[in-house]
Amino acid sequence: MEKTSVYIISTLIFLSSSTALAQDQIPDSVDIPLKFKAAIEISGPTIYLADKNILNIEGYFAADLNEQTAIYIGTGYSDFKYSQYNYDYNNKGVFLKTGLDFNLLKPETAMGKYWAGIGLHYGLSIFNSETPFLKYENYWGITSSSIARATHWGHYLEVSPGFRAEISGNFTIGWSVSMRKLIYSGTGKDLKPIYIPGYGTADKSFSAGISYFLMWNIPYKKIRVAVKQESPEEPEETEIPGNNTDSQSLEDAPGGFR
Amino acid sequence: MRDSFKNLLITVSAVASMMVISCTREACFDETNALLKASLYLDSLQTITAPDSLTLYGLGMDTSKIYNKSAFIKQALIPLNSSEAGCRFIVRINGVSDTLSLWYTSFPHLVSQVCGYTFYHTLDSVAVTNNIIDTIKVTTNSVTTLNGENIRIYY
Repeated sequence: MEKTSVYIISTLIFLSSSTALAQDQIPDSVDIPLKFKAAIEISGPTIYLADKNILNIEGYFAADLNEQTAIYIGTGYSDFKYSQYNYDYNNKGVFLKTGLDFNLLKPETAMGKYWAGIGLHYGLSIFNSETPFLKYENYWGITSSSIARATHWGHYLEVSPGFRAEISGNFTIGWSVSMRKLIYSGTGKDLKPIYIPGYGTADKSFSAGISYFLMWNIPYKKIRVAVKQESPEEPEETEIPGNNTDSQSLEDAPGGFR
Repeated sequence: MRDSFKNLLITVSAVASMMVISCTREACFDETNALLKASLYLDSLQTITAPDSLTLYGLGMDTSKIYNKSAFIKQALIPLNSSEAGCRFIVRINGVSDTLSLWYTSFPHLVSQVCGYTFYHTLDSVAVTNNIIDTIKVTTNSVTTLNGENIRIYY
């Protein structure tokens, strides 16, 4: 909930400020640079410095198709370890995500520098997991067991609203909130994976998270995009009884006063 | 420049809040014991009826009783031994004892990340002596944490 609020509030701040700027001067058309983009996710390695049990390295490549749409290909590696009093769990693997990113800003607002939009991605993970130790206690005493390492494939869908802004030169920073729906965990219902690379904690069929990106852009083409002109609002005419009608009749009247 | 600073501020604050949230460990509130649910039926009426007294314990575990002269028990919850392929129980209904034998297959089941694993069972066969118990009927052979009935004990 806090994560979603951060997204909504900062997007509203950005949209309100950029809309105000855009209203100052609206040209007929704008030149938008189309770019190849290469991004790395920066919170994963940062979190690893504090918690050596979770390493998540992620990046993506994107290519603008036009001023609004980009092809997205993401990839990454995860190494996840978890331990508590009744079991240990290890999981490591790689993932691939692909889909489209849509910029919802107007071209004259975005200018190829800002992106506030949504990504729709399909994710595929290949990972191996093991439970080297598990303990279960009931009336009969303690049962100790383990689950051998096995390789699985997981599939999921991801919706990623987010925000990016050019900070200098060809560098951009930004973040996105990722909401993911697990399609298939790659295991049976009894031994669901606790973690799936690229998806996150997988004991539930829905996961959410925030990613922070540092991006390098390579412009490859410029396109001219027509700006949709908003028709200026006509001032409301207030009719003064007897005034407008009288002047009209005076002008139309042959030999009327001018 | 101003926008960049704003974005940096948002990013730093969001990372900090995320790290705080991710450090909060939840508690386990899910059911973690897969118990065999045995409904007690009065054979003459063919209806579920609590006996006046029920005592139940594992064979050789008479110092640790699951039920000890308990009244108002219409459905007994029986823990199975995950380390073995079968186990036996002494069932004493209204002061008369029988031995209930159960054979099953056990396998681990992940409850959740915070709760860890439990063991589910698939009932293979059951047997009982016939001092007060007349018959046993298996209704569902999957013994899980979900509610439901696995066997009926007619007495």
